[in-house]
Amino acid sequence: MTRSSYRLTAVGSGKGGTGKTFVALTLAHFFAAAGETVLLLDADFGLANASVQLGLGHAGDLPGLIAGRTPFAKAIVHVGAGKDGFDLIAAPAGSGALANAGETIADKLLAVLCNARNYDRIVIDLPAGVGAGTMTLAAHADDALVVTTPDPTAITDAYAFVKLMARRTGGRMPGIVVNMATGEAEAKRTAGAVIRSADAFLKNKPDYLGFVPQDGAVGEAIRRQKTLTTYAPDSPAATALGALAETLGGESRKRQSATSLR
Amino acid sequence: MQLQTFLADDMKAALSEVRAAMGEDAVIISSQKTKGGGVMIRAAVDEADNDVGEDAQEPANEDADAGQPNSRFRQALIRRLREPASDTTGRPGRLRFDRAQLLTLFARHRLPDGLAHLLAERAAGAKIADMTLALAAAIDASLKPAPIDFTKAKALMLIGLNGAGKTATVAKLAALAQLAGRIVMLIGTDTVGAGALARLEAFAEHLGAESVTAATATSLAERIRDCIVAGTLPIVDTAGFDPRQHKSAIAMRAVAAIENLETVGVVSATGDAEEAGEIAAGLADAGARRLIVTRADLSRRVGALICTALCEKGPFAGLTRSPFVAGGLEVPSALQLARLLIETDEESVQ
Repeated sequence: MTRSSYRLTAVGSGKGGTGKTFVALTLAHFFAAAGETVLLLDADFGLANASVQLGLGHAGDLPGLIAGRTPFAKAIVHVGAGKDGFDLIAAPAGSGALANAGETIADKLLAVLCNARNYDRIVIDLPAGVGAGTMTLAAHADDALVVTTPDPTAITDAYAFVKLMARRTGGRMPGIVVNMATGEAEAKRTAGAVIRSADAFLKNKPDYLGFVPQDGAVGEAIRRQKTLTTYAPDSPAATALGALAETLGGESRKRQSATSLR
Repeated sequence: MQLQTFLADDMKAALSEVRAAMGEDAVIISSQKTKGGGVMIRAAVDEADNDVGEDAQEPANEDADAGQPNSRFRQALIRRLREPASDTTGRPGRLRFDRAQLLTLFARHRLPDGLAHLLAERAAGAKIADMTLALAAAIDASLKPAPIDFTKAKALMLIGLNGAGKTATVAKLAALAQLAGRIVMLIGTDTVGAGALARLEAFAEHLGAESVTAATATSLAERIRDCIVAGTLPIVDTAGFDPRQHKSAIAMRAVAAIENLETVGVVSATGDAEEAGEIAAGLADAGARRLIVTRADLSRRVGALICTALCEKGPFAGLTRSPFVAGGLEVPSALQLARLLIETDEESVQ
């Protein structure tokens, strides 16, 4: 597959409710603030809600773009003003327009993204679960992230994501991000559980990329439909995600060599 | 993957519950102490995934920054902590419990005879087939982990032999305290040692913290009182001394008795194991309420580390294994210590 110069960052989780959308869109903000031109793609085909978190009236026309009805420039919507603004494309919230999207849709989506030459970075908010379409998108990403929480259910589902991605890609592993951790110790234990499982059963270890502490500001920001970067830019969670964005690139793109196929 | 959580009074009971419920193939994926004094461990089983076999392994993750010495040491240590040992029982990563073999491994790490036999005895008594887990249970019985709570700490003072790594540890603790949201003040008391204060000042500047000196115990007590009133965390660096010498130990004990001052002993992992044990006990006698092991990345034999970590007189506050100030302080679990002793790269330690 040939592709233009953008870097594809996919955020998945296995289990729903781990804070994937929140992580994806806060990262998008930070990448934009670091000077990249960013497109956030809400690939939660059935129930897209990035636009809801952003408090937007509409979310772009992803179904139209995939079907070829809407040209790229019209299918996107610009979010925010100033230097941490970015483009968003999603299915209309609550529409269920792409609810039955499978692998075919994922392939079409990747084909459409080939034309997104204007971006330095595309962040995909993957659907929850480990469906074929989800794993196709994850497998094509330069950086795949799996967001987990310290709950055992989230840990097993994160492991499932790691396992299926490794199968798809011949052993490539997503990086692990622990969300809603009470502290660094719990985050390391949680990531350690996934890493040790992968090491024992898959004979390969995913990277631990960092954690986002449990932070009241996050829930409050989501309830107010504000981004964390505008509602509480100095909160611990925002600081942690800023650091994660830095790890994943920003200007420096430190991890480029580590997991990229390209 | 099947994942189960087990709560038990101690490691040994938890491990036998794991074996009973999930069989011999269960892998311990995390362990922690619970508030009530028990342990909580998580274990998992999964079919080995042959689709992603040997040829699929991608070393890129680990080799990405393998050029830097710090990263190499870290990777080697992580490998020693996590990866299975050579296959001697037919199943990779598992050694059957064998007392003689355990004692040989202890000797390789220069563990003193007394401690070696005590651990071997306890490990045998644990009646666990897997050698690493049996040793973890034995270590768990003596290990008193006591991580420093930087949000609550009032004043810290580091003591130890010359060259143990006190000043670097002061800087590391200061960095951790800053991460915990504290404002720190570095206090130098070694006004005689060549360049001692200059080094502390350089660290302070690097951290964006203030540094002051205190030449006498009285002025030190005053400085500490001022800091506590101002809400800052004073971290005191001291001149090296030998706690086994009666006179200097008594002098240090008097300083350590300053109100609100918590003394932390610093022991290097690169020394002789027996010496390290004596020094740790001596530092505890001189007033140290916690012990920190430094330079864990530079020692291939972990005898000194184990002797200090299991010192009966002082709880273990963690180890440092990085030449960088941001390297931090890690508190290894009993299982990790057992892995260090058993799952060693054979070539590096003879």
